[in-house]
Amino acid sequence: MADDRLTRTFVELADTLVAGFDVVEFLHMLVDRCMELLDVSAAGLLLGDSHDQLRVMASSAENIHLLELFQLQNHDGPCLDCYLTGEPISHPDLRVAADRWPMFAPAATESGFRTVHAVPMRLRSQVIGALNLFHTEPNALAPEVTQIGQAMADVATIGLIQERALHHQHVLVDQLQTALDSRVIIEQAKGIIAERHGIDPGAAFTLMRVYARNHGQRLTEFAAAIIDGTTAITKFLPSAPAATPGV
Amino acid sequence: MTETTRADRVWGVVTAYAEALGVPVSLRSLCQAAAARLPVSAVAVSVRSGRVVSEVLCASGSLSRELEELQLTVGEGPSLQVLVGGPLVLVGDLDCAESQARWPLFVPAAVQAGARALFALPLRVGVIRVGVFILYADHPGQLPAEELAEAWVFAEFARRLVLDEQAGIGTPEGYPVDWLSDSRPEVHQATGMISVQLGVGIAEAFSRLRARAFTEGRPLSTVAAEVVARRRRFDPDHTAREGV
Repeated sequence: MADDRLTRTFVELADTLVAGFDVVEFLHMLVDRCMELLDVSAAGLLLGDSHDQLRVMASSAENIHLLELFQLQNHDGPCLDCYLTGEPISHPDLRVAADRWPMFAPAATESGFRTVHAVPMRLRSQVIGALNLFHTEPNALAPEVTQIGQAMADVATIGLIQERALHHQHVLVDQLQTALDSRVIIEQAKGIIAERHGIDPGAAFTLMRVYARNHGQRLTEFAAAIIDGTTAITKFLPSAPAATPGV
Repeated sequence: MTETTRADRVWGVVTAYAEALGVPVSLRSLCQAAAARLPVSAVAVSVRSGRVVSEVLCASGSLSRELEELQLTVGEGPSLQVLVGGPLVLVGDLDCAESQARWPLFVPAAVQAGARALFALPLRVGVIRVGVFILYADHPGQLPAEELAEAWVFAEFARRLVLDEQAGIGTPEGYPVDWLSDSRPEVHQATGMISVQLGVGIAEAFSRLRARAFTEGRPLSTVAAEVVARRRRFDPDHTAREGV
């Protein structure tokens, strides 16, 4: 059964790649599939920017605590280690990992996570980012989970970097930069929607994804239209979920 | 930051260059440092200025200023292309038929002036088109991978200096990644929220947010987080007020 779903997922992802996709939507879809296919509690995809700072491109929940946990890894954490070494990094119990990651381990434990795993997004010899998986139980990531995780990270890399266009390093730099920029455009639009409708940014993001998908629009283009004021966002307000307090 | 990152190295080059000149870090000294560090002969920063498409903010030498102004005169060229929203432009061989066909007015004059290659990198924050960072070389050839990566970091610092100038913020003292960091999602979410609160464009909102963080001497991300958590609003009368 799991194999069937896995096959379908990869077919679906391959279709997305062909169809001309939105990079942020694609990465979010990939993180969503990770959550369905793998027995994990949270997942996030991070890309390195020109400063070698890790930046969140997609996350299984847009809640501020989870995002903070990814961001924190610019100081220490499995994602940073994974990004710097290009090797997968795991820890079976974060409660005893404070020596290794003095900032990250206590924060992750505080958020209820026990097992952590990070797999590299690798293009030939270059590491461009990492996929981060969390579980609330200790010793909770089986080897096949990490194998599938690596396969997902590879798909993400292929999706980000269109190989056939990759004759030169500058194309890679441009594509990574464009991806990071798309994410910023979406954050700006989330803020506008959140403020206009009194909802939190996570709910605003869900609205944007649903709307863009229903209207066959690319997420980033839709976000840009929101910012330009060329899209009337009141159109989809009736289906707006209520603000989630405290998130 | 314990180990040396590319950003550390480039910032080191930028500050050392300014120190050697006995001036604070500025766009001008940054362009000069980039021209000295990278295998190019001239560097310029142009920005969009109101309805005028481009204004040369800074240039490392007369060649780059001349070529930037040339684009304005003839109404075409790589910087203009980037300023109106195009992707980065990397031309390893300017003196060829393909480049001529691309910019028939700009290229002959640029070649005449001595340019053989150019690399124009967009300066952006999401939808905000801040400007363009352009490097001109007097010999043909693409920038090698590491040099291109360094050029991006120079461009990133240039972007921040342009934004600082627009927000009326002074020259940064230290490594700007700390409190000027705008890589965090809440900074951009807050920008969107502030644009609605003030009824202004996204670029103006971003400028207000940065100016506010600067005058309070607090990290940009902290002020942004307060806005996102709705503990702080920006009022149209230019003041930010606590609570709601």
